[in-house]
Order: sequence, then C-alpha cells, then structure tokens
Amino acid sequence: MGTISLRKAGKQYGVIDIIKDLDLEIADGEFVVIVGPSGCGKSTLLRMIAGLEQTTYGQILIDGQDVTAAAPVERKLAMVFQSYALYPHMTVRQNMGFGLKLAKLSAGTIKAKVDAAADALKLTPLLNRYPKELSGGQRQRVAIGRAIVREPVGFLFDEPLSNLDAALRVDMRLEIAKLHRTLGATMIYVTHDQVEAMTLADRIVVLKDGRVMQHGTPHDLYEKPANLFVAQFIGSPKMNVLPCRRSGDSRLDLSGEGIMELPLTGDAAPLQIGARPEHLSLVAPESGHCRGTVEASEYLGGSISVFVRNPTLGLINVSAPADSAFGIGETVGIRIDSTRSSLFDGKGLAIGTAPLTL
Amino acid sequence: MINVLRWLVFAIAAFAMNFPILVTLVTSFKSTRELSTNPGLWVQAPTLDNYLAVFQVSDRLNIFLYLFNSITVAFIGTTLAVMLAFPAAYAIARGKLGERTLLPFIVNLRAVPLIIFAIPLYMMFQWLALLDTRLGLGLILSIVNLPLALVILVNAIRDLPGELDEAALMDGASRLQILLRVIAPVCRPAIVTSLIFGFITSWNEFLFGLMLTTSKAVPITVGASFFFAASGGGVQWGVASAVMVVGALPPVLLGLIMYRQISGSMTAGAVKG
Amino acid sequence: MKTQRANTSEFKLLATPLVLFLLLFLGFPAIVNLIYSISDVSFETLRQPQITGLSNFVAVWNDNAFWQASWFSLRFGAITALLECALGLFLAIFLSPLIEKRSWLMAILMLPLMVAPALVGLMYRLVLHEFAGPVPYYLWAWFGASLSFLGPTSAFWTLIVVETLQWTPFALLLFYMAYRAIPTEVVEASAMDGARRWNLLWYIELPLMAPTIIVALLIRFIDGFRVFDNVYVLTGSGPGGSTASLSIYIYEAFFKQGAIGKAVAASVILFAVSFAVLYGLNLFAGRRKGALT
Repeated sequence: MGTISLRKAGKQYGVIDIIKDLDLEIADGEFVVIVGPSGCGKSTLLRMIAGLEQTTYGQILIDGQDVTAAAPVERKLAMVFQSYALYPHMTVRQNMGFGLKLAKLSAGTIKAKVDAAADALKLTPLLNRYPKELSGGQRQRVAIGRAIVREPVGFLFDEPLSNLDAALRVDMRLEIAKLHRTLGATMIYVTHDQVEAMTLADRIVVLKDGRVMQHGTPHDLYEKPANLFVAQFIGSPKMNVLPCRRSGDSRLDLSGEGIMELPLTGDAAPLQIGARPEHLSLVAPESGHCRGTVEASEYLGGSISVFVRNPTLGLINVSAPADSAFGIGETVGIRIDSTRSSLFDGKGLAIGTAPLTL
Repeated sequence: MINVLRWLVFAIAAFAMNFPILVTLVTSFKSTRELSTNPGLWVQAPTLDNYLAVFQVSDRLNIFLYLFNSITVAFIGTTLAVMLAFPAAYAIARGKLGERTLLPFIVNLRAVPLIIFAIPLYMMFQWLALLDTRLGLGLILSIVNLPLALVILVNAIRDLPGELDEAALMDGASRLQILLRVIAPVCRPAIVTSLIFGFITSWNEFLFGLMLTTSKAVPITVGASFFFAASGGGVQWGVASAVMVVGALPPVLLGLIMYRQISGSMTAGAVKG
Repeated sequence: MKTQRANTSEFKLLATPLVLFLLLFLGFPAIVNLIYSISDVSFETLRQPQITGLSNFVAVWNDNAFWQASWFSLRFGAITALLECALGLFLAIFLSPLIEKRSWLMAILMLPLMVAPALVGLMYRLVLHEFAGPVPYYLWAWFGASLSFLGPTSAFWTLIVVETLQWTPFALLLFYMAYRAIPTEVVEASAMDGARRWNLLWYIELPLMAPTIIVALLIRFIDGFRVFDNVYVLTGSGPGGSTASLSIYIYEAFFKQGAIGKAVAASVILFAVSFAVLYGLNLFAGRRKGALT
C-alpha cells in the first residue's frame, strides 16, 4: 500500500527535456522530499506522479500497477496545492466532501468522514465558512483535510508552505510531520526550501535540470554530499568551497595560502575543498590553515557569522561562538576540521578520503 | 475527433452571425442586371459600378458629407467623453469622491433608454440652434460614451499603486500635475482603448442621429437609410449594399485590428462595474 | 491638515467639469421632461407650457399602443437575453480550446458587434428580400418553402433572430473571459477529487461563472428592452404597431403624432420604472456582496 516507483520516466515539452530518464523507488509510508532550485522540474515531477501531467516516456507504478496512463483519481493519490486551490463557491464542509460526493458515497458516510477529519485538524468551528473568510493557515488545513478525507494511498504536497509567513511556516511544518506520524502514509513533498527538506524528510531527492543529483537521508546528504551542487544546496549557512591542489600523499595545498594534513586515497586529484561554516573555527593568524581579514560579522544571538576575506581563496564564512570578539579589519586564522570536510574533483564530484579512525 | 467538431461549430457560428455582412458584401459587387437574376451567395460577374454610384454626389445623396459628419461627431463624442471622464475618474479612484453616488449613477446611465432624454434635448437644441449641427450631435454622443469611459478609466487608475501619486507628491506636484504628468502617461493604454471604443460606439449611433439631424449633420448610419428610399423602380440593392459596406467599414476595420483592447473595454463594465 | 483639505478641493475641482456637463445635458432635460409631462404643450407653445395636471399620464395609461409596446419590449428583452446567453455560454466553453491558441478567431466572432445595429437591420432587409435576398431564394430552392419574414405572424421572431445573431458574441466574449479566469489549480484539484468533464462543468465551472452569467443576462435584457435601431429600420412599428418597442412608441408619439405630452409622459414613466429596477438591483447586489465579505 503506497509504494510508488518511477522507471526511466521522462517529460518533454517539444524538444525540451523537463525530466530526463528518472528512476525513483519510494517505499510504503516513506516521507520523501523532492528539493531543488526553481526550474529544476520538481513540480513537474510531482504532477507526473499525480497524473496532472502526461509522462512522455517511461513508467509510473503504484503498488506494482502501471498507472502511467491512468487519470488522477484512479491513482488514489491526494494533492495539496501551493495556492491551496480550495473551491471558492463551496463551504469548508463541501470542499472536504467533494471528492467523496463524486465517488457517490452516502450522505451519512460523507458527513462522518468530514467531521472526523475536521476534528483532527481543528477545523470543526469553520465547517460552514467559505474560503475567502479564512486565514492562510486555515485554508492550508482545509486543503490538507480535503486530502485526508479521501484516505489515499499517498499524499502529494506542492510547496504547501511557501505562501505562509515565517512563523506560521514553522507551525505548519510540525503539523505536517505530526500528520505523517499519525497516518503513516506515503508522502511526497516538493519544496525549494532546504530547511523543510532537512526537517521533514525520511529521504531527500535533490533535483537539478530534471535529473537526480543525489538521494538519501538528510544525514547522508549533509555529511557526504555526492557533488558540489548538493553540498552547497543542503545546509544553511552555505558550505564554503575553496580552491586547492594535491601536494603529496596526505597534504592539500590551499592555493598557496596554507597547507592541510589530510589522508588522500590513491590517485585522487581534488581541486576544491568544501567546509561548512560550523566546521570552521577562528584562531590566531599563525595557527590556522589559512588566514584572512575580517570583513563583516553578524551577531545572531546564539552564534556570530563572521566573513573573512582571503585574497586568493575568497570570502569565507565562519560560524563562531557568540562570545568571540573580532573586530572588522582584524587579521585572523581559520582552522578547518579535516574530518568534516569534503573534497571535489574538477567535475564537481565528491572524492573519497582514506577511511578515518575516529 | 472533438477538435473537428469544434472547428465545425466555429465555422457555423461565425457564418451565421456574420451572415448579413457577408451577404451585403457579396451583393455590393453585383451589377444591376445580375441582381435581378442571381440572389445567391456568389457573384457571377463582379463589378465596381455600385461603389462608383455611391460616391457620386447628388442633391439628394452625398456620401462624403455623411462620412465627414460621422467622423466629426465620433471624434467629438469620444474625445469630449474621455476629457470629462479622466479627471473625474481620478477624483473617484484616488479621492474617493462620489464613489457611492456619482459613479453608480453614471454606470446606471448605461441601462436607461436614452430616448427618455431625447425629446427634451430636441427641444433644448431647437432653442439653442444646435439642431442639425455636428457639434450638437457630438455633445449628445459624449454622454452616451461617458459610462463606459468612466468605468474603464476608474478601473485603470485603481490598478495603479498609490505610491506613484505619493512619490509625485513628495516631489512637490499638484494633483493636476500628477494627473497629467504621471497618471495619464501610465494610463495611456486605457485612454486609447476608451477613445477607440467611444469612436466605434459614436459611429454606430442611430437614434440621436435620426432625431437631431435633418440634412447638414446627418451621419452615415442615417444617411445609408436614404439610399433605401425607393426611387421609381424600387430599392437599388447593389448601390444600397455598397453604401452599407462603406458605412460599416471603419468600425469593422478598427475592430479587427484592435479586438484585444476592445474586448477588454466591452467587458469592463460587466465584470468590474 | 491644510494639505488634506486642499487635496479634497483639488479632487472636487477635477470632477466638476463632468458634473456640470451632466447637469446641463441630463439634469436640465430631466426637469423639462417632468414639467412637460404635466402640461399641455404643442410645438407652437413650446416656451409656454400650461400645467394641466396628470392628463398626459392618463392618456398614456389608456393608450393600448403603450401597453402593446411595453409588452413587446419585455418579451423581446427577456427572450433575446436568454437566447444570447445560452448560445454564448455554449460557444464560449466549447470553442475555448480553439480560441486559446488562436486569438484572432475571437476577432471574427466579434465582428457583428462592430457593425451599427441600424446598418445590420438594413442588411437584413436585403437578406430577407423576396427577390434580391439569399434566404428566400435558398429556402425555396432547397425546401420549397416560402415564409413572409416580416409579416404579422413572423415579424417578432425574425426580429428576435436578428438581434440574437448580432449580440450573442457579446455574451460569448464575457463568458469566455470568465471561463478563462477560473484558476487552473482549482480545476486540477477537482481532477484529483475525481471530477470528469460533466462533473467539472456542473459543480465547478458553471457555479464559478454564475455571477458573470447573471450580469450578462441583465445587460442583454436591458439592451433588448430599450431596442430601437434595428427594429425601426426593419419593420418600424409594424402592422398594427405589433413590433413597436417602447422606444419606438415614444419616438413615434413625438415625431409622427406630435403628441408631445403623451411622449414625454411615457418617457417619465419609463424613466421611473428603469430607475426603480436599477436601484433595487444595486441594493440586491450590495447586500449579496456584503454577505460574502
């Protein structure tokens, strides 16, 4: 119940490939987040799964059955739209019951199901209101209620939180996570916000230009990004990427600005090293792997975000403890945690390091 | 499949609704001889004789006069309407003046049968010596155009961000300067649309032309009917058709070129007003 | 404080030309109407009307032709509005996929709206002419039938067809725009809920277009009610006044009969009725809007 597969699926508009040769296996009950920049095709992919877009080639299977040519309702999936897409001329109750009414369920059954879903989402006092009388968050919950009521094998979410303000977004994120725990249903969630991806997903699929860049657990993507794109897309603040060169068996030359001791495998030829701001520390200028001048520092309360300028390596972002004291213009040294850094070759692909004994 | 059916329905609808125009067009190219034998939808021997006859001025019929009158009164009727409506639209949209009194009143004007005012206007014009003058007719036509012009312009101004006016105020402009230097240029599409639509409406007006003119200021809609007065052997359908084609041509051409803008103005009153 | 007051007076100044113009060309005639409607006046005594009370209104009330014309206008307005909206709705929805891709198709469909109704009426005189017109010709050639289109029995329906064919594009245009304005995501949500073509139309599309449909019906009824141009040139007031609309009735009372008092009284009645109906509609529309906000 609720396994969804895509086999070599693709979508073309004329000669343009939106999605190309995509393979994806989603297990029953899994919460998969499809994430990527604008235009990467994530919404198209979701709509292909929903049946709102025609798949040009390849297959889509739900619970082993080929649904590639099936109409949306036949796939038994429910979708929550970015703009909620509530029926403006129907009350909340009618909105939620519409799908059941089309399925010709009895009025009593419909009322019972709608009441139950409304109760779960705390919508009961709003059942007789019209969408235009509701706030954004309330409309969002009605949209979710409309999906729940149909008891689908899978839920599809198309950037559901992007129209909400920041505080509401956090609340709704928790609601959706709770929903997944309660229902245990398969959920496919599309967003451009990597924070939503990291916090909600069992598994993240990173998409770029219609292709999968990497998929795995949030932890895998954070610690072991497969390429430069994923490394810089996941994790906030963004990972710093510094040019470097191999200099010996276990030494990395930071473009003449410093030397790092780092075990390197075989004939690996790294050209870039990635280090997240939280894995860098500010030290005395002579004790760091490289040095630079403090250009800006942003006090965030729990930490300080320091921007250090190195003439060759560029602007480096370091996450420093809140009680550090650095003045603008000061020369500082940067220490890189070699156990948490990533190496990338000329093509932007990750290079393995020799296994570390930790 | 269904698309073929759609094209078929389109063709039938387009043909049926445009039927009189097509028939008139075809007939205008038929010679007098052909008219008595062939009432069908095709022309055996096309000729331009009818058009030549139309453009011959007689003491009874003068198409150049009628066309000139139509152009003049349409011009007056549309520019006057827009010139009156534009500042008022600004006052209504920005100054919230008369939003619940003046605006609904003028919008409802569209629904009133204007014949109601025609009779006293006739008498007023007689007293003011405005009967059978282009100016007189033009003045009335501007009233006919006011409702739609006002609605279009009020909506256009409402769509502009208020910050535009405020920026100009910070720069020290008076309301009139804001209207002319800031709002008008930005509203140019809406103004042009109102002018075009007003022109077409004025050109197509008949009732007031019939009532308020007799010989000197007769517009083409009324003048065309003169060609239908049977002279001796019945109506000369060829010439009459040519006249109708000439009379209908300007608005039709305008409509074909600017149908996008015009469709917007036609529905402006309905959707928002 | 000073600037605010200056602002309002600036706005008032901007609206003044329009208001003055309306007072002169509408307000003044309205007053004249009222005075003349309660006076005895003829073309010779225009400047000296003699107040005689309500005798003009009585004359109108007792005039069969007035009631005949009112009935004509009512029927004409209602029937043409219904026909035009029904046809327009069907065409708008059915032809929408075609027009979306080729917008010039709309220009062709809108053509009838560009021609003066008076000219269209004259064109139909040709179209329906027994010798020079194609319709009687083809009717005889294909069906062996011959109809008297402008005769006593068929004139009304001929006029209905003439008006409907010319003004259906207006309804078509309105409904097409309303149809396209339906948000795509709402349509997609209904697809997810299982709505196929007819369900989609009945439960989603038509209800969302309902306000536009009502507006269209109203506008076309009003225009049909006060029809003048095409009816006048095609049949005039017709045999026994059977095709006289209210506007034609008033026109003929004034110009053909010279009965100024009667014509003006009828105008006043018409004005009062129109105004009452419109006022009622505005109230109704206002209440509906208030309920939903």
